[in-house]
Amino acid sequence: MLKLELKEVVVSVKGGTVVRHADLRVAEGEVLYIIGPNGSGKTSLLRAVLGYPGYEVVSGRVLFDGEDLTDKPMEYRVRRGLAITHQIPPKISGVKVGDLLAEILRRRGSTSEFKGITEMLRIEHLLNRDLNRNFSGGELKRVEIALTMAQSPKLALIDEPDSGVDVESLRFVARGVKEILNRSPFKSIVIVTHTGLIAKYIPPTKVCVMKEGVLKECRLPDFLKKALSEGFG
Amino acid sequence: MLDAVRGEALKALDRAAPYGPDIDVREYLGLRVREPAKLEIGRVEGVGIDLRRARRTAMYMQVDGRVVESLSRLSGVEVTTVEDFIGNYPDIAKELLWRLIKPGQDKYTAIAALKGVGGYYVRVKRGVKVSEPIQTCLFMASEGLQAPHNLVILEEGAEATIVTGCTIMPEVFGLHAGITEFYVMEGAKLSYVMIHAWNRGTHVRPRSAALLEDGASMVMYYMNLSRVKTLQTYPKVILKGDGSKVYASSMVLGRGDSVVDVGTEAVMVGDAASELVSRFVVKDESRAWARARVSGVRGRGHIECKGLILSSRAALYSVPELGGTGRDVMLTHEASIGRIAEEEIAYLVSKGFSREEAEELIVRGFMNVEVRGLTGRMESYVKNVVRLMSRAAM
Repeated sequence: MLKLELKEVVVSVKGGTVVRHADLRVAEGEVLYIIGPNGSGKTSLLRAVLGYPGYEVVSGRVLFDGEDLTDKPMEYRVRRGLAITHQIPPKISGVKVGDLLAEILRRRGSTSEFKGITEMLRIEHLLNRDLNRNFSGGELKRVEIALTMAQSPKLALIDEPDSGVDVESLRFVARGVKEILNRSPFKSIVIVTHTGLIAKYIPPTKVCVMKEGVLKECRLPDFLKKALSEGFG
Repeated sequence: MLDAVRGEALKALDRAAPYGPDIDVREYLGLRVREPAKLEIGRVEGVGIDLRRARRTAMYMQVDGRVVESLSRLSGVEVTTVEDFIGNYPDIAKELLWRLIKPGQDKYTAIAALKGVGGYYVRVKRGVKVSEPIQTCLFMASEGLQAPHNLVILEEGAEATIVTGCTIMPEVFGLHAGITEFYVMEGAKLSYVMIHAWNRGTHVRPRSAALLEDGASMVMYYMNLSRVKTLQTYPKVILKGDGSKVYASSMVLGRGDSVVDVGTEAVMVGDAASELVSRFVVKDESRAWARARVSGVRGRGHIECKGLILSSRAALYSVPELGGTGRDVMLTHEASIGRIAEEEIAYLVSKGFSREEAEELIVRGFMNVEVRGLTGRMESYVKNVVRLMSRAAM
């Protein structure tokens, strides 16, 4: 059964078209990779799926778990079970990592997960720090994954989990992404990457290529290796 | 009252303060001290006063011009009315009262000198370290003037935390012009937490000054929780001694049509250290001035003033001032005024919060200054007040 479906989606940011055409189908049990060069519109597409302010779906439809979300605000989409792991999350002064994580868990009635999540992502030393302020690349990703894990979404959109991350951090990030996938009732996830490093830990079931704002073509997992070594074609 | 104090005050009754809206204080000259109305415990607790606990330790409670309770069960700690102090120690009183703040400083000190009644005297004796906070409350239950004169003395090596809650009944309008003088002697450590919860009709003009001797330190927290008609205060800390330190943190919320002008001044005479931090949040049609001044001849000083404007009709002005003489002083400041970034709100909404919840989280984070010099219950309390302020800002 299809869990996420994009039908001829066009996305505009500040009046300029950043996604010219996107067709996508994510089925139950699917680990879908979106690959493509920098600037091809991958992040914009994920944000538009989530309903992020400023990322306007000017035509096409976004369907999630049988419901048309195209005109719904982000707050609603998140409540319905979509979540995003940001590539470059903002710094927020005074908002402590530990407080935010605890608050997300409290709202889900899952405060007991706090210790397990912080240990799994190795973020114990960041709990009293301002969110994302002076974090290394790996720390940024680990905190983002931890917060998404705390949300326990039905379907997570993971944006570039493997860029700007050292090998050690990547291991923890991958472990976290795998846990998010395990928690998904659909057993589905969407991962955007242009390095493909994370595939070593979480193999794709389908690989889609995005180029110059167009996402149409999805292929078998073997294509990932070829695309990363020979170019996105 | 000494003739000299009275004479100086009389001459200053029309002397406007350099900052804040000017109000006429002469209408309070003819007031008589009235029987206080009933104390509302809920409002007292709202400004951090835990009466049950305070009665087991040390406390002072004044309603309008009447002293309701003053006691100390702590060894080495005296808490009485300032009138009793003057009666018990007339020579010391003459030496310490009106020394750091002059009765003729402005019309508010003048009216306090002429018509002020009550005020607490807190003395922590040499070397005594008090773990429980000494709680004081100044409550306005009737219209008119409340102008206590408070005196705090921490003798050599003493350590204490004083919590002062000032509040008022909702329908009562008037002027609060409390005078507070602090003497923090050699090596003593004072933490002072002041929480204000006024109403939309009250004018507030507290006047405070502290003298810190060698190695003395003072941590001050000021927080205002609710609307006020006008509020202007600019406590002055004189760091006379070498190694003396002050950390002052003001968290101010401007709401409704309030006019708020709050600052702290540090004067470093000795080789001292000063850090003045403020967080202002303004909304509705309120106007606020965030002031801070550090001056000196030796030592290090830093000012950090940050402000957040939540409404298109609110205004905030940040006025940090530094002044140094000679080569042995280093002073820095940072100041900013901004609004909540949409990017931050969107991010938090993507993490499952509503827009309102996201704004509250950001405001709370903005006000989340480092809590220093307080431990346990007091630290939690200050954090909780910040949480309440963030909620009130929404």
